[in-house]
Amino acid sequence: MAWSRKSAMFASLAVALYLLGLVLRNQQLVTVAVVLLSFLTWAAFRTTNADVSSSGRRMEDDNDTGGIALQNLVALRRLSSARVFEDGEIDVSIRIQNKSNLSKVLEVRDRVPEVMRIKKGANYVLMELGPQRETEISYTIEAPLRGFYTIGPVCIRIQDTFGLFHNEREIHLYDDFLVFPKMEDIKDALIKSRVPKIFTGAVNIRNPGEGSNFYNLREYVPGDAMKKVNWKATARSGGKLMVNEFERDAVSDIILLVDSRSVSETGPVSRNSLVYSTRAAASLAQYFLSRRDSVGLVVYGDEIVSVDRDTGKKQLYVILTKLAGAMAKGNTPLKVVTNRIMPYINRGSPIIILSPLEDDPTIIEAVRDFRSRNFDVTILSPSSLEFEFDARRLDRTGYELLKTERDILMSELRGLGANVMDWEPDMLLNTALSGARGF
Amino acid sequence: MQEDFNGGIDLVEKKSDTAHLYDGKTVRSSAPSRKKAAGRMKGSSEIPKDAIPEVHVPSMIESLFGGPIVSKTKFLPPDRVVKNLQMSAAIILTLLSIVTFTVTPVSGTAWFWLSDVINQPAIGALFHILLIAMGFIGGMYGIFQREQRAILISYVILILVTIRFAGSKVEFGIDLLPDGEISQKLLLISYALFLVMYIELTSGVIRFSMLDKSIRTGEVYVMNVKKITSQYYKSLMITPLVAGLVALITLMINLIIPFIVGLLGSDSTAKRLEESVELTSVYGVALGTAVVFMIVASAFAVNLPARLAQMRENSNK
Repeated sequence: MAWSRKSAMFASLAVALYLLGLVLRNQQLVTVAVVLLSFLTWAAFRTTNADVSSSGRRMEDDNDTGGIALQNLVALRRLSSARVFEDGEIDVSIRIQNKSNLSKVLEVRDRVPEVMRIKKGANYVLMELGPQRETEISYTIEAPLRGFYTIGPVCIRIQDTFGLFHNEREIHLYDDFLVFPKMEDIKDALIKSRVPKIFTGAVNIRNPGEGSNFYNLREYVPGDAMKKVNWKATARSGGKLMVNEFERDAVSDIILLVDSRSVSETGPVSRNSLVYSTRAAASLAQYFLSRRDSVGLVVYGDEIVSVDRDTGKKQLYVILTKLAGAMAKGNTPLKVVTNRIMPYINRGSPIIILSPLEDDPTIIEAVRDFRSRNFDVTILSPSSLEFEFDARRLDRTGYELLKTERDILMSELRGLGANVMDWEPDMLLNTALSGARGF
Repeated sequence: MQEDFNGGIDLVEKKSDTAHLYDGKTVRSSAPSRKKAAGRMKGSSEIPKDAIPEVHVPSMIESLFGGPIVSKTKFLPPDRVVKNLQMSAAIILTLLSIVTFTVTPVSGTAWFWLSDVINQPAIGALFHILLIAMGFIGGMYGIFQREQRAILISYVILILVTIRFAGSKVEFGIDLLPDGEISQKLLLISYALFLVMYIELTSGVIRFSMLDKSIRTGEVYVMNVKKITSQYYKSLMITPLVAGLVALITLMINLIIPFIVGLLGSDSTAKRLEESVELTSVYGVALGTAVVFMIVASAFAVNLPARLAQMRENSNK
């Protein structure tokens, strides 16, 4: 049982008046003190009656109705969806059951993550719940930022009617949900874009497959189509059936490199380089996967997290999940990442780097390495300077100076043959990609 | 409630509105032009005023108590419950002021002593009445304006007028009041009850105003408002009665102890106890308080309330 400020004030006033009454031999003061103490005692007695033994479980698991001893309050929660995109909504329902034979006045607060916004209803309810009764609370939350989130615990408070004492319990009922970065439809932008060839059609990659360009010869294996048999080569090989292999040119292998170093979170919580990078990566992944390309993802911050190249809708959700969980941490240089992944990427694969290009002296060297191995490098750089300047955390002189440094770096990268796009805040991804024209 | 609870992916794309996350800054719909931005820039490089967060430096008293003693809250116009509580508080305050005036003589107070020193006893009496009037007016203002500071001042004043060196004998401000011991004690208890009720009702006015505001701003949802308020009204009736009864037992200890001793067969001892100065004085009340609250404390020590509650909750299961 916890004391409120009011009860503490009552108690201290009662004690003070009681002692003062004894010192001054004033019955009036002592009487007031006795009444105050009796008032407090009765309220405490009533609050102790209000037991809040409780438990909770998800509504989906509601098949066991057997009660634990003193399991008088039960909370069950249900979410409309466990996965949404940024700015999506989730409906939450909580069923509160009073299994005791006493009526209770309850304050119920379902704890939602701080960044979430209550769109409809309330997660904080004051109610009178009769004996053996149940009620349901519903509310809708809006998820403005990507990430892994947890709703819960459910806090239940019972207090006396005067608000002097309260009993509080947390029902350890948690529900996890995932907020994916939101995606833009970038089809139009990429059709209009002239320069990054990778976006305008299939690229031949040095892997065998069902393409049109000759790759090499190999021995016939059962199952090979007879039209693939190279009769001239068969004749030269002394009786061994040889077949032609072709380059797989129907799809490209696209590698998305997302910079999630701590510097990428510079700016307001909802408008920073990492937020923009993850949204862009999600949009690009969706676009390429819908074209049946193979997409891989590397997120680097304090460690290098990668998703191997693959195709299909499942791959999109694997990538989205990794992007949702990308945290701004650490300071792994790009060169370390390129050294790590280079052996596993097919030469000529398009590489898209999403980075604010800050605080990393190895960027130029890393891009040079990629270019020297004939990788098609595109850099989409959300400008954290603009975020800082817009949030008025950067003065004009600092902004101008840093902007000049950034422009010089971008020019150098362009000089290495990379397509560099400067992505300013509030610029739609479509616009940023369209801006790639004319480099 | 929706029927689909399978956790399907919600692909609803909505217009972004994350302004609440960064101080209400609105998101521009078009891409900013660097040239335009350069054009907007002012010559001065000083930090804009709104970029500096407002910092409230707590006063010494606030630091001591860990926060503002009386919080500043703006309320919406009172609803029916608040209006009822305001009326009840106003009635109780009126009664309290009258009872305070009747049961609290000016003699024994600090201002009486001062006025006596300057040989102007009328000033002391006037000051005494003025204090009660200030407590009344301040309280009324606080109740109807829901101004917590005024309410707090009225508490202090109405308690301050009772602080006086009284001697062991009960004295009243008006001579016409009854001389009988029981009636005197009943009057004292009613004064104490009015004071406690006044404190509770004024606190109720603020509490229900805050609740009403939270309901109307959607911060909290209240189910069965009527039941909750009716429970509060019920408690307002029952709790003072219980407190009054306990106080009566405590104050009557000078009659109860001799009665018990008399039952045990020692009539002369009972008679002597009944006439004992110690038992009839404030120290008798102190003894009564100690006895009553020792019984209450032992009930809490053996967790009696919780055990009773457990029995009631598990009955008929």
